[in-house]
Amino acid sequence: MTVPAQKPVRKLSMKQRYSALTHDLDWTPTYVTEEQVFPHTTFEGIKVHDWSKWDDPFRLTVEAYNKYQAEKDRRLYAVLDGFAQSQGQLGLTDARYMNAMKIFLQGIPIHEYDAHRNFAYLARYANGPGARFAALCQSLDELRHAQTEIHTLSHYNKHFDGMHDWHKWSDRVWYLSVPKSFFEDALTAGPFEWLIAIGFSFEYLLTNLLFVPFMSGAAFNGDLPTMTFGFSAQSDESRHMTLGLEAIKFMLEQDEDNLPIVQDWLDKWFWRGYRLISLVAGMMDYMLPKRVMSWKEAFELYFEEQMLGGLFKDLEYYGIKPPRHVDWAIGEKEILSHQVYWILYQYSHAAAFSTTIPDAEDQAWLEQAYPETWPVYRDTVWNKAQRVMDEGGRYFNPGLPQLCTVCQIPMGFTEPGDPLTQCQRQSVYEGERYDFCSDGCQWIFDREPVKYRQSWLPVHQIFQGNCGGPTLPDVAAWYGLQPGDGAEYLGSPDHQNWLAWHGQAPQEG
Amino acid sequence: MQFELRTQVIEPKRKTFTNLVERYGDRPASRYEEGSIDIQPVENLHYRPLYSADKEHYDPNWSAFKLADPYSFTDPRQYYYAPYVQSRAATNEAFVKTIDYVESRALFTKMPAGWDALVGEVLVPLRHWEAGTELVFIEGARWAWGTTIDQCCTYAAFDRIGNAQNLSRIGIVYGDGHDHALATAKDTWLSGPALQGLRRLIEELLAGDDWAKKVVAVDLTDRLLYPLMYGHVDEAALTGGAGAYSLVAQHFSSWFADHRRWVDQLIKVWLADETYAESNKAAFQDVLDERWTQIVEAVTDLAAAVDARVRCGAADVVAANAKELAADLAAAGLTVPGGN
Ligand SMILES: [Fe+2]
Ligand SMILES: [Fe+2]
Ligand SMILES: [Zn+2]
Repeated sequence: MTVPAQKPVRKLSMKQRYSALTHDLDWTPTYVTEEQVFPHTTFEGIKVHDWSKWDDPFRLTVEAYNKYQAEKDRRLYAVLDGFAQSQGQLGLTDARYMNAMKIFLQGIPIHEYDAHRNFAYLARYANGPGARFAALCQSLDELRHAQTEIHTLSHYNKHFDGMHDWHKWSDRVWYLSVPKSFFEDALTAGPFEWLIAIGFSFEYLLTNLLFVPFMSGAAFNGDLPTMTFGFSAQSDESRHMTLGLEAIKFMLEQDEDNLPIVQDWLDKWFWRGYRLISLVAGMMDYMLPKRVMSWKEAFELYFEEQMLGGLFKDLEYYGIKPPRHVDWAIGEKEILSHQVYWILYQYSHAAAFSTTIPDAEDQAWLEQAYPETWPVYRDTVWNKAQRVMDEGGRYFNPGLPQLCTVCQIPMGFTEPGDPLTQCQRQSVYEGERYDFCSDGCQWIFDREPVKYRQSWLPVHQIFQGNCGGPTLPDVAAWYGLQPGDGAEYLGSPDHQNWLAWHGQAPQEG
Repeated sequence: MQFELRTQVIEPKRKTFTNLVERYGDRPASRYEEGSIDIQPVENLHYRPLYSADKEHYDPNWSAFKLADPYSFTDPRQYYYAPYVQSRAATNEAFVKTIDYVESRALFTKMPAGWDALVGEVLVPLRHWEAGTELVFIEGARWAWGTTIDQCCTYAAFDRIGNAQNLSRIGIVYGDGHDHALATAKDTWLSGPALQGLRRLIEELLAGDDWAKKVVAVDLTDRLLYPLMYGHVDEAALTGGAGAYSLVAQHFSSWFADHRRWVDQLIKVWLADETYAESNKAAFQDVLDERWTQIVEAVTDLAAAVDARVRCGAADVVAANAKELAADLAAAGLTVPGGN
C-alpha cells in the first residue's frame, strides 16, 4: 500500500517566493566595503538611496527563463532548418532585398553582442540584486540575439555576397563605424549612462523605428527566417523595454539631483540614436523591393505619436522634457532617407552592399510617399546618375568624404528648412578643428570633447595610412571586400545569379 | 514557376563565413562556430572607458591570464545559447520533479537525527556561496578577451544563480513552505562560524581585481566543496538513510561535472599557451600563494560543521581531497603553500 502523496501547499505568495529565490540571496559585505565590491556606481554622480526600490515586474526565475527560451529557440531553429532545406531564398521578392539584410548582418549582431557584454557589466556592478538579475537575463538575451541573427542569415551567406566577412567589416569599414562608434560610446560610459543610452533611449525610445522596418520588411519580402527571428526576439524586447523604463524612473525617483544628469544623457542619446537609425531610413525607402511604410510615416507613428505624444507626457511628471534637437529631427523627416541613400549610392564601391537607381516602380512609390521632396532629389541627383548610367558608366564619388566627428556619417545633411545647403558645424578644442553634421552632433561633442577627439574616423585613418594604403583598392583589400560585395546592383553576381535561378539568364560562373 | 524551381539544386557559393574558412579550412562550420568564433570586436576601438585610464573596454589586459589566440579555447560542450538553454531546461525540470517529490512525501521530515540540522545549517546557507560566485563569473563575462571564454562565463553565472535558487527551493521545502529556513540560513551565512571562511573568501575575491584569478580561486574552492557536499555527504546520506539529501544532491554533482569540463579545458589551454604558458602559470601560482591556505581552511570549517551534525569523516575527506588536488597542481608545475 502506498501512502497518498500530500498535495504541496504554497504558503508563500508568488511575490514572497520570488523574492526569497532572488533578492534574498543578496547580502551586504562586511569583510570588505560595499564600495570595494561595487566600485562603478558612484563616479557618474547619480545618487541612489535604496536599491531595493528597483522593481522587476517579470519575476522570472532561472528555471522559468530556461524553459521559455528553450521552447522559443526550438521553434526558431526549426524554421531556419526548413527554410535552408527548401532553398527558401528563391521565394524572396528580389535579390536586391538582400542588401537590407547585408546591412543588418554587418551592423547589428555585433552590437547585440556588445549589449550582451555590457549588460554583464551591469549584472556584475549594480548594487541591487533586482537590477542585477534583470541585467543578467538581458545579457543572455542579447547573446541570443547576436547568435540567432547570425544563424538566421547564415544560409543567405552561402548564396549571396556581402555577408561573408561581417566580423572584419564591422571593425573596419567606414559606414559600419557609425553603429560601432555609437555602441562603443555607450560601452565606455558608466552603468547609469549605459542604462539611459541603451536600456532606455535605444531599447525603448527608438526600438520600433529600428526593428519594425527590418522585421516587417522581411515579412513583406518573403524572408521567413528574419521575420521569425523578429517575432521570437520580440518577447525578449518587451522585457528590455520594461527594464529601460524602470531604469529611468528609478534614477528619477531616487534623488531629484539626478534629473539634470538624466536629461543630459537623454538629449545626447536621442540624437546619437536618431543619427544612427538614419541608415535605416535609407534602407526602408530605397532598398526594399516591397515597402511596408515610408520612413516619414514610421517616424510619425513610432516616434512623434507614441514617444513624444505618449511616453514624454508620462515623463513630464518627473520633470523630463522632450529631447533637445527633437525639432531638427522632425524637420528632417521628409528628406532624411533621400540624403542617406544618396550618400550610400555614391560610396557603395567601398561598401559591402550594392545600390542602384530607384526604378520606375520605386520612383512612383517615392513620389506618392514624398510628393514635395522626392522630385527635388530626382531632378538634382538621380537624373544625373541616370545620365551616367545611360552612357555606360556608373557614378561613384571618387573622393573621400568628410565625416561628422560624432555620428561619423559623411557630411551630407542640410541646414534646417533648406534642403540644398549642406550643413556644417565646427568646434575648436585645444587648437584642433572638429566638424559636425548638425547642431545635435556639435552639442554632443562640446559636452565631452575629451571623449570624441578619440573617435576612430575611417577617413582620417585612411589619410593617416592605417587602412592598408592610400588608394581605393588598397583600402578595399584591407577591408576584406571581394568583387561582388559592393558597388552597383544591376549586373552584380547576386543579380545575375538571381536571374539564372529564375530561368532568366545564365548563372554566373 | 517557383514550385518547379524548388527541385532545382542550387550549389552554394560558399560554405561559411570567411574568418572560419581562414581558421578551419574550407568546410562547413557548426552553429557553435558561427555563433562563437571571432564575435567580439577586436580593433579600432573608439573611446577609452570613462572608468579606466589604462585599459580599453575590450582588452586582454583585464587579466594576467592570456592566450596568444583567444579562440584556441573552445567549449568542449559546444554550448551556444540554444543548446545551453535547452540543456538547462531539461536539468531544471528534473530538479523540479525531485523537489516536488521530496515535498509531496515530506521527505525532509523523515531524515535521521543530525541530517535535519545539516540541511538547514550547512547545505541551504550555501545558496549565498552560489550567489557570490555568480558575480565572479559574470565579471568574467564582461572582461574576458574573446567570445568563447566570455560565453562560458556567462552560462556559468546563470548556472550559479540557478544553483542558488535551487538551494533556496530546498530551503523553502525544508521549511515546510515558509521562508523561515531561508532566514536562518542567511543568518548562518552572515554570522555562523562554519561559513565565515567561505564568506570572507568570496567577499575578498569580489573586492579584488583580475576576473580570471577569481575564477581560478572559486574553482579551487569548488573542487573541494562539491566533492564534499555533493559527493561524500551524498554517499553518507545514502548509507545513513537520509534519502532526501541524496535526491537533491545528485543534481548539484552532475551540474558540477558539466561545469568543470570547460573550466578544466580553459586551465589546460592557459597552461599550454604558445606565448603565455609561463606567465599564466605564474598567475596561477599567485592565486595559490594568496588563496590556497584560506580556501582549504574555509572548506575544512564547512566539513567540521558537517561532522558536528552527522559524523561522517568530512574533515578527513577534505584533507585527502586537498592533498590530491595539490598533487594534480604539482603535476602541472604549481606548488601549494605548505608543501604538497
Ligand atoms: Fe537585442
Ligand atoms: Fe534588447
Ligand atoms: Zn553627426
